Amino acid sequence: MRLLFINHIQNARQSLQSSRTRSLLTMLGVTIGIASVTAILALSGGTNKIISEQIDSLGGNIIIVRPGTAKKMSPDITHSQLTSEYITSTLTEADVALLETTEHIQSVAPLMTMTGTIKADSTAPSDSQIVVTTPKLAEISDLKIRDGQFIEEGLDQNTVVVGTQLSINVFGTESSIGSTLTLRGQPFVVVGVLKRTNKPINYNSIDFDNAAIINFEAGKKLNSNIAQIQQINIRADSINNLDSAIADTNKTLKQSHDGENDFSVLVGDQISKPTSQLFFTIAGVMTAIATISLVVGGIGIMNIMLVTVAERTREIGIRKALGASSSDISWQFLIESLAISIVGGTFGYVAGYVVAFSISDLLTFDPVINWQIALIAFAISVVMGMIFGFYPAIRAARKDPIESLNRHN
Amino acid sequence: MVMAITTKKPVIHLRDLQKRFGIGDAEIFALDGINLTIKKGEFVSIMGPSGCGKTTLLNIIGLLDRSFVGEYEINGKSVDSISERRQARIRSKQIGFVFQNFNLVQRLNVIENVALPLVYKGISHTKRLIIASDILKTFHLNEREYYMPYQLSGGQVQRVAIARALVNEPSIILADEPTGNLDSRASHIIMEELSELHKRGNTIIMVTHNPRLTTYSSRVITMLDGKIDADTKPEDVKQEPKIKHPKKVIKRKKSVYRQKRKKR
Repeated sequence: MRLLFINHIQNARQSLQSSRTRSLLTMLGVTIGIASVTAILALSGGTNKIISEQIDSLGGNIIIVRPGTAKKMSPDITHSQLTSEYITSTLTEADVALLETTEHIQSVAPLMTMTGTIKADSTAPSDSQIVVTTPKLAEISDLKIRDGQFIEEGLDQNTVVVGTQLSINVFGTESSIGSTLTLRGQPFVVVGVLKRTNKPINYNSIDFDNAAIINFEAGKKLNSNIAQIQQINIRADSINNLDSAIADTNKTLKQSHDGENDFSVLVGDQISKPTSQLFFTIAGVMTAIATISLVVGGIGIMNIMLVTVAERTREIGIRKALGASSSDISWQFLIESLAISIVGGTFGYVAGYVVAFSISDLLTFDPVINWQIALIAFAISVVMGMIFGFYPAIRAARKDPIESLNRHN
Repeated sequence: MVMAITTKKPVIHLRDLQKRFGIGDAEIFALDGINLTIKKGEFVSIMGPSGCGKTTLLNIIGLLDRSFVGEYEINGKSVDSISERRQARIRSKQIGFVFQNFNLVQRLNVIENVALPLVYKGISHTKRLIIASDILKTFHLNEREYYMPYQLSGGQVQRVAIARALVNEPSIILADEPTGNLDSRASHIIMEELSELHKRGNTIIMVTHNPRLTTYSSRVITMLDGKIDADTKPEDVKQEPKIKHPKKVIKRKKSVYRQKRKKR
C-alpha cells in the first residue's frame, strides 16, 4: 500500500511535468489564495505579537475593560465605521470610582479619545488624537516623560501633555513646554512632552507620539460635559492576584450595571486582538480575495482534473485491465490534484511572505513567521485538493474498463 | 496428450452464460447460453465472424465485464462471490492481457509500460524496472527500453504488449487478435512467442480471425451469433488458401524470364 502510494506520487509528478504550463496555470489560483491567507496571518500575527510583548513588558498584570460584549467587538465590515461611534459607551465615571476601591486593584485609568482640531503655530495632522484620562495612565501604560511632567490632579485643568511628534508638528520643536495650543478651540498650556514611544500599535489603540493628553474634567468640558469612556485600564496589585482582580472587576461592574453584561473584561491575549477597524477592513477585504481565489483555484483544479480524466480514459481502461482496482484509480487522480494544490500552496506561502514583508516596509511592525501559519496554509491546500479532486477521482474510478479501452484518443 | 489435459483442473468454467446489450426492442444477445470449460495448460483459439461475441466472451473471462447472466467460475470459485477489489487482484496476479491495438500508455516509455502491472502488486520502482528489463531482454527489446511507443514498429509494439502481459507471470493469457495489425512475418514471431508460453504450461485463450493461426493452438472454438458453433481440434479447421509470398512470386517471374531469354 505504501509503495502504491509512492507510485501515485511519482505518477503525479510525471503527469504534472508532462503538461507544465497547464499545471502552473492551475496552481496560480491556489497560489494567490494561499498567498493572501499567509499575508493576512503573518501581518495580523505581527500586530498581535507587538501588543503581547507590550503587555508582557508591563508585567502582565494589566486588565482592560471595554464597553459592549466581546462579541460585538468582532470585525464586521458590513457595518460602517461610524455606526460604532454613535453607540454610547456603557462605561461611566461611577464605574471608574467603584473599581478604584475594588480589592486587588492597584490603579485605574479611564480612557476617552476625541477627534478635533489641534492647533498652535500650525495645525496638527488629522490622525492626531486628543486623549482624555487621569494621571494614573502614566503608571499603568508606562508612559515616560521627556520634558516637564504628566497631568496631575492639582494642576490647572487647561494643561496638556503632548507626544514628541505632535510637538514637532504643531510647534516645530520637541521643546514646547509653556507654549499654548488649542484643542477644539480651547487654549491649553503644554506642561510636559512625552518620550518617543515608536509604538503606534498598542492595546490602547492610541499613538502616544501623536497625542495630546488632557485631564478628565477638561476633556468632559470639551465633550459637552459627557464622559464617553472607551476603555478603562486597570493594573492589578500583583500578577498572582490577577485572576481575583478579574473576578472582582466583573462582579463590581455587573452590580453597577444592574446585572447587565454590557462590558468586556479582557486580559492577556484577549487584549492583543487588534481592534483597529481599518485593520479589520483590510483583513476582511484580503480574506474575501483569499476565499474567492481559493474557490476559483479549486474550480480550476477540478476543471483540469476532469480534462485529465477525459484525456486518460484509455489509460484508465489499460490500468484496470492490468490489475488496478477502482480505489487505485481514484487515489491516483486524487493524489494528482493534491499535488497541484500542495505545490500551488507552497508557492503561495512563499509569495504571501514576500507580500507581507513588502507591506511591512510601509508599516511599523514585521510579519510574524511561525509554524502555525505554515500548518494553516498546508491544511487549506490539502483540503482544497481533496474537495476539488474528489469528484474527478470518483469519475475516473467509475469508468467502465471496456468502454475506456475502446476509446480512441 | 489429450488424456493429460483432461486430468487437469478446469481453470475457467462457464455455464449458460448470457450477455445482453440494449433494452426492449433494441435488445441484442451478444452471448447466448455459452457453456465452456477450459483446463489448465490449454491453448484455445476462439474464431468466428465479426460481432459473434468473441471479444465480449474474452472480456468476461478476463473479469473486465461483470454484467452478465449465468455462472462463471475461475479456479473453482464463482466470480459472483468475488469482490471488485479481489477481482482486480486476480487480474493483476493471474491474468495477462494482449490487445489487438496494443494499448500501451503513450506517455510512458517501453520499460515503464512493461513495468505497469507490477505497480499494482506493490513492487518498488527500482525492482519493477529490473524485472521489466529482464523480460524485455527475452523479447530482444532491451535496446529499446527507453523508446516511446510511437518510436517503435508495429511488431515491436506488440512484443512490448506481450512482455507487459507476461511480466506478472500470469497463469492465464488472454489475447484479443494479437496479430491483427501485423504483417505475416511479425505475426509469426508473435505466435512463436505465444506457443513458447503454452509449452511452459500457461493457459492461453486467443481470439482470432485467421484460421492459419489456429495451428498453434490445442483447441479451436468457433462462435456464431453468440453461441458456440463448434469445439474442434486445429486439424479440423478449414484453412484458407495459402497466399504466395511476394518474394517467391518475384523469384518465379525471374526464372520464367530467364527461360524465355535462353530460348531466344
